[in-house]
This record gives sequence, C-alpha cells and structure tokens, in this order.
Amino acid sequence: MRALCWHGVNDLRVNDVPEPELVNPRDVVLRVRLTTACGSDLHFIDGYLPTMREGDVIGHEFMGEVAAVGRKVDDVEEGDRVVVPSFVGCGNCGYCRGDLWSLCDNTNPNPELQEPVLGDATAGIYGYTHAFGGYAGSHAEYVRVPHADVNCFHVPDELSDEQALFASDAWPTGYMGADFCDIRPGDTVAVWGCGGVGLMAQGSAALMGAERVVGIDRFPERLRMAREEAGSETIDYTEVDSVVDTLKRMTGGRGPDACIDAVGMEAHGTGLAHAYDRAKQTLRLHTDRGEALRQAIVACRKGGTLSILGVYGLMDKFPLGIVMNKGLTVRTAQQHGQAYVPRLLEHVAEGEMDPSYLATHELPLEDAVRGYDLFKHKEDGCVRPVFAP
Amino acid sequence: MSPPPPSVATAGPPERPHAPHRSPVDGSPGTWERAATAALGGTLLARGLRRRSFGGAAAALGGGWLLYRAITGRGRSARTFVPAPTWSSSGSDRTGSGPSDGATTVERAVTVRGDADELAGVWRDPERLALVAGHVLEVTAGDGDGDGVAEDGNVEGGADQSDEGRLRWTVRGPLGRVLSWETRVVEERPGELLRWESVAGAAVPSEGEVRFDPAPGDRGTEVTLRVRFDPPGGRLGDAAMGRFGVVPDALVGGALRRFRSLVETGEVPTLEGNPSARGRGDLL
Ligand SMILES: [Zn+2]
Ligand SMILES: [Zn+2]
Repeated sequence: MRALCWHGVNDLRVNDVPEPELVNPRDVVLRVRLTTACGSDLHFIDGYLPTMREGDVIGHEFMGEVAAVGRKVDDVEEGDRVVVPSFVGCGNCGYCRGDLWSLCDNTNPNPELQEPVLGDATAGIYGYTHAFGGYAGSHAEYVRVPHADVNCFHVPDELSDEQALFASDAWPTGYMGADFCDIRPGDTVAVWGCGGVGLMAQGSAALMGAERVVGIDRFPERLRMAREEAGSETIDYTEVDSVVDTLKRMTGGRGPDACIDAVGMEAHGTGLAHAYDRAKQTLRLHTDRGEALRQAIVACRKGGTLSILGVYGLMDKFPLGIVMNKGLTVRTAQQHGQAYVPRLLEHVAEGEMDPSYLATHELPLEDAVRGYDLFKHKEDGCVRPVFAP
Repeated sequence: MSPPPPSVATAGPPERPHAPHRSPVDGSPGTWERAATAALGGTLLARGLRRRSFGGAAAALGGGWLLYRAITGRGRSARTFVPAPTWSSSGSDRTGSGPSDGATTVERAVTVRGDADELAGVWRDPERLALVAGHVLEVTAGDGDGDGVAEDGNVEGGADQSDEGRLRWTVRGPLGRVLSWETRVVEERPGELLRWESVAGAAVPSEGEVRFDPAPGDRGTEVTLRVRFDPPGGRLGDAAMGRFGVVPDALVGGALRRFRSLVETGEVPTLEGNPSARGRGDLL
C-alpha cells in the first residue's frame, strides 16, 4: 500500500509499504478514508522529538471504514464508518476507566523508551515516534487499530467524512482544553493559537457557555476564521505592544478567567524573550519555546485556570513562582479523546458546531509531502491539509 | 484501491546541516542487537537521571545516546555498541553473599487490576508466561532434563518434584548461540507468593519470586517481581549475558508491564506486523 513515511529531518516521502494485518484478537484494520496533518507532527519532522526511525509511517488523526475485524471484537463490523482517537486506549486499565485515556497503561509497546525520562509511560499513539508506541500511522491506505471496541466510534450517517475527521484529535484536544477551564457564566477564555486545536478550543469554550472568547495569533486568515467560524474576538500579537496589557484592558483589568495554551513549543513571539527561546531551540539546548505559556501565566486573572494543550518536550524554565503567587490552577494532558468523541459527534448532528472548516486543503495521499509543506509554512491559508488515500 | 504507482521519493526540502547521517537500512544492526541496546540505553538513562550528579548526567547522556543509536538502527556491530553492563543499578541490590560476586538482584513492582488468585495462575502457565517474558526470553514447559548446556543432568530434588512448575528459559544470541536453563517452583503460598529456582547445573543460576499484595482502595493488586541472576564468571559473565540481550532491569520491568497488559486486556501490546518503509514488523 502507499503511505507517507519519515526518512529523516525534513525528509518525508510517499512509499510502498506492507499492508497492516490483524495481530491481536481485539484489533481491526481500517481502510483510511481521510487523514490529516497535526501541528505536533512538525516536532519530529523538524527533528526536535527523538525516537523516530527511518521509514516510519506517520499520521495520527483519521477516520475510515472497517476492513477486517479481529475475533474478540464485539461492537465493530466490517464496513462500519468510524472515527478513531489518536491515542490508543485499552478500556480496562484504571486510567481508561477513569476517562484518562492518553495515560492508558496497556497500549504502549515501548514503555522503556519513556520511563527513563517521564518516570512512567503514556498510552501509545499512531505514527508518532517509538517512545509513543511506534505504531504505524494513518497517512496510509490501511491502519491497524488495537482494542477496536473502545477506540472506534461510529459516525452517524448524516455526518460527512470531513465533519467526523477532526473528532479524532484536534477537536477532542481543544474540547478537553475548554473542559479543563470549568467555564461558568460570565467567564472570559483566552486561547493562544488559532491553528486546528486553538480554533476547536475556542469553539468549544463558546459551546460551554463562555461569555467571551479571545483568540490570539498572527496569521490574518486564521484570525479571520477565529472570528467568523468560532465567534471569537481576536488579537494579532504582532499589532499590539503587549498581549497581556490588551487582555487586561479587554477584561476591565481582571485578566481572562482561563487561559488556554494551544501553541506549545512552536510558539512564536516578537520580543527579546522570543529571540532567547529561539536561539536556545536552534542550538538544541532545549526543545521548547515558551513565549505563549509565559504570556498566558501573566495575563490570567488571580485564581484563574491555565489549560495547557501545547505539546512540550522537556521545558527547563517555567515561571512557577508566578503560578504560585497568583494561585493559578494548571490543568494539562494529552487528549483523552475517547471521553469526548460521542459528545462531539452529537454536537455536529445537532448543528451546534461543525469542525469541517479546518480542512482548508484536500489532497490525494500522493501529494502529502506538498500538503505538509503548505501546512508547515502556513502557505495559501493552510490550516489543515486533509489527505484521501 | 488501484495498483500503486512505482515507489519514487517525492522531493523534500534540502537536508539541514543538523540532519543525522542516514545509513542504509541493510547496514543497520539486527533487531536483536537493537533490542539489547535499547534496553540497556533505557537502563543507563534511568540510572543516570536518578543519580543526579555529574556522573549521573554522563550516564544519562550515554544512555540516551545508546537509545538513539538503537532505535535509529545505527552502529556497526554488537561488539562496538553493547558495553559490558554492570547490573548493580538503582532498584537492584548488589548481593555479596551469593555463590559468586556477579550476582544481581532486581526488584520491580506494578499494580494490576484483579485479585491475587487470578493473577498467580499466569506465573504457572508456560503459554501465558511466554507472552509475559517477551521476545528476549523464550519460555516453555520444563522437561526435567536439567540444563540444556551443561552435561550435568542431575536435578537436585528432581525425584520428588513433578513436572508441574518446571519451566525452561531460552535466550538466543547472535551467531546461533543459545543459552538455556530450567527452573522449578520451590515455594507457593496461594494468593500470596510464588518462588522458583534454577535447577542444579543451570547455565544461568537464577532465582525469583513474585509476590501479591492487595493495593489500597479499589486499586487491585500490587505485584512485586524479584529476580536474582548469578551469571557464571562475574563481570565477564555479565558481558556475555549483555550480548545475549539479557539486561535484568529491562527484563523484569518489561515482564511486569506485559503481565499487567495480559491480565487486564487479554493481550500484550505489540508492533508485530507493523508496516513501515523498512518492511514489516517492529519488535524493538
Ligand atoms: Zn495531534
Ligand atoms: Zn487503558
């Protein structure tokens, strides 16, 4: 089959690879209908995230049609149209039962690669380094999905593939980020980043009853989407002296009740702090730039919530003193998709939110390398390239 | 699905100066060696990070490097990149009181959903134990023949032991070399403890026990696995075992994690058959 493979830093190619097969009794093999790039893919494409191997099939956000079913799968049948969260859950460990699916104890085949660093291991994820499990990714004609009964979610007939696709990763991530904020009437939620996850966090915060949602970015077309699709107010951080001051002014001096970082180590800024971060990152002294996170901490109202969705490596400087003195609550996780997907599909069916506007570019899988190029450099207004294998 | 067009690389952006040197896949060390190196790298890294000293930092860096080498498949031969492991690590006690100086004890624990009686059964079942042991160790029912390598077939207490509780452990090294030894259960307290020992004359004298303690609240059962290896020949024996991919820390930790997955989900997570441009299968 054809698949998009990682061959080295900034070296992706579409190759012929063997087709996946049923291995464990609870597996299904999915024929991928749509699969999309995620900002976190750029971390290993750019070489900031180790444990990729030459030839790995990448991609973790996808939906498709069930092609083969393992003998211990009960609730999924051949031909079912399903969407699958990017983290693999088992459904039986204490974490899965507690709806903390990305912390699953039983789905990472390479925990020994994470434990020395994290002191523990996360769940496995498709197409996202060997430390995160090493499973072949979804940018392929077929993908193997373990523990299918708990990882495959049936897509209602009235939903299009595009409407279901982002319930795999971008939307549950953003939704969880808003959920962390425990939004109450009158709350203002500020979201750093208007990429796929940031836009989903903004739309979800509005859905959960936020009085005001503010999106922060620098790309005009993304800021336009935040206004028009998510209903947010926006700040172009290149056009203001200080994002923090602007947010304080907008909120009567209080600051947002909750701040969501949907940027992570890709954060861009404009000031000295940014130059320092960038220099360190370029020299690989550390892998993270934390400008967005620092702004969020300073802007947030006292006693407010800091919800971190951006993917960080091993950030070595974190202004904990500010967090402590302001009494902030920090909540963060890789996405617990399985806890949210049914609710998200219902929101679409009820016409309450439709994430399909993220799909700015639809390409055949053969053009995936060009798709990642558009995505990485944010050319042609690209928010998410979607590939049809 | 139409027949795929020929596999031609789509041009990517030029390689950056930092891009790691890429070696052809066929020049990379085998899965076996990578597994050993990765396990070792992980172990060193873990020790280095725990030690928190300059030496610790160096160990962490060295461990990270090994890990990187292993998973990128770079390195020339097992000899050049599997250093002699020293098995006295954190989480292990150097036990000086054993028959030889090289003895190492490793103890690890996991918490597993399920009660002790249900969990204990796995440790007496060669079929399920084979899944728990993973790809480095093969487990089969013991045959009472003692050790597969040594001539000495005399099994201490062999006469009054039934075949039940006998297990044969086999490691396959490079160049077709095989290490194999047999163990027998020497103590069993149902729902509490299972202890075994290698039979007399075993190539790798070892003993182990698995203990079951109820975890607080509804957290299940705390399972503690303690294994003592006593490789013949002290440090040289260590090195030999290292080349066979036997790294006790990694073995014990990995076995417990696979045990938990098997008990909780009925299967062990695997990259068997995993597709990539390297081919099929990704057993690290
Ligand atoms: Zn993602
Ligand atoms: Zn789980």
